[in-house]
Amino acid sequence: MFVCLCTGVTSQVVTELVASGASTSKEVAEKCGAGLDCGRCRRTVRAIIAAAQQGDCPVHKAG
Amino acid sequence: MSEYQLHSLILAADYRVEDPEIMWSQLKSRNSHLADIAAHHVVLYTSVWEPGRVLITIGVRQPNSVREVLRSPVIFELFDVSGVDDIPAVFAGEVVEKIDLDEPGPDDAIAAVIVGVVTTVEDVSTLMVKVHDAGDRFRSAGVRKVWVYRAFDDGHEVLILQEIETEAQARAWIDHPDAAAEWMAAAGMGAYPSVFVGKFAHLMTVAEGDG
Repeated sequence: MFVCLCTGVTSQVVTELVASGASTSKEVAEKCGAGLDCGRCRRTVRAIIAAAQQGDCPVHKAG
Repeated sequence: MSEYQLHSLILAADYRVEDPEIMWSQLKSRNSHLADIAAHHVVLYTSVWEPGRVLITIGVRQPNSVREVLRSPVIFELFDVSGVDDIPAVFAGEVVEKIDLDEPGPDDAIAAVIVGVVTTVEDVSTLMVKVHDAGDRFRSAGVRKVWVYRAFDDGHEVLILQEIETEAQARAWIDHPDAAAEWMAAAGMGAYPSVFVGKFAHLMTVAEGDG
């Protein structure tokens, strides 16, 4: 799914960044640009971070 | 990241609004704006269990670029008129197959329940074989239709819309899905919204624009 409509960053990209250590929406934004423009996707980014921290992300499981 | 070569595109977003009917009337009044992104149809489903939760799908004719469509002011306007500040993740993909398990009959006039799921699957082609093989079991469980869409940005990601005869059968399907419906097991995990259970509410045909 596309998380950031401004930059075209996908949930897969955000999930991979979180898996490699990004733990805040700011860190995700710094690495891929998601949320830097209008900022309206930050809540979704935070939800992905929270889900990954709970260890139930299907992208992680597939890996 | 590479751009995607497109023939047709479906966008889907699952989010919450104050009043779906007001949102729809706002959207209808902007029909001509949707022509700017070459949209041809917009469908609204409303949740039966969660007031204000909606699933909206937009069909788009042969766009040059998914990203161009997504960052179009028209898409932002869609969320603005919905009163949505936090934009949800948007599924963007193409149809793999629309499987009708039942012959059209008089019962089709009765509004069925739509169960929508976005998730990842191991292999979409294998999945389709399993679904076809399990057609009789799906039918017995009340599943009338299974529409499968594959995401452009992730070959494992799918949007699956299932039409199920009754709300009770939908609940049973969610609690105890058929083994072939592997998408149900991972529904609602990670980046993906929880299972959407709703009914068809509105359809809008978008007039073709000038160019």
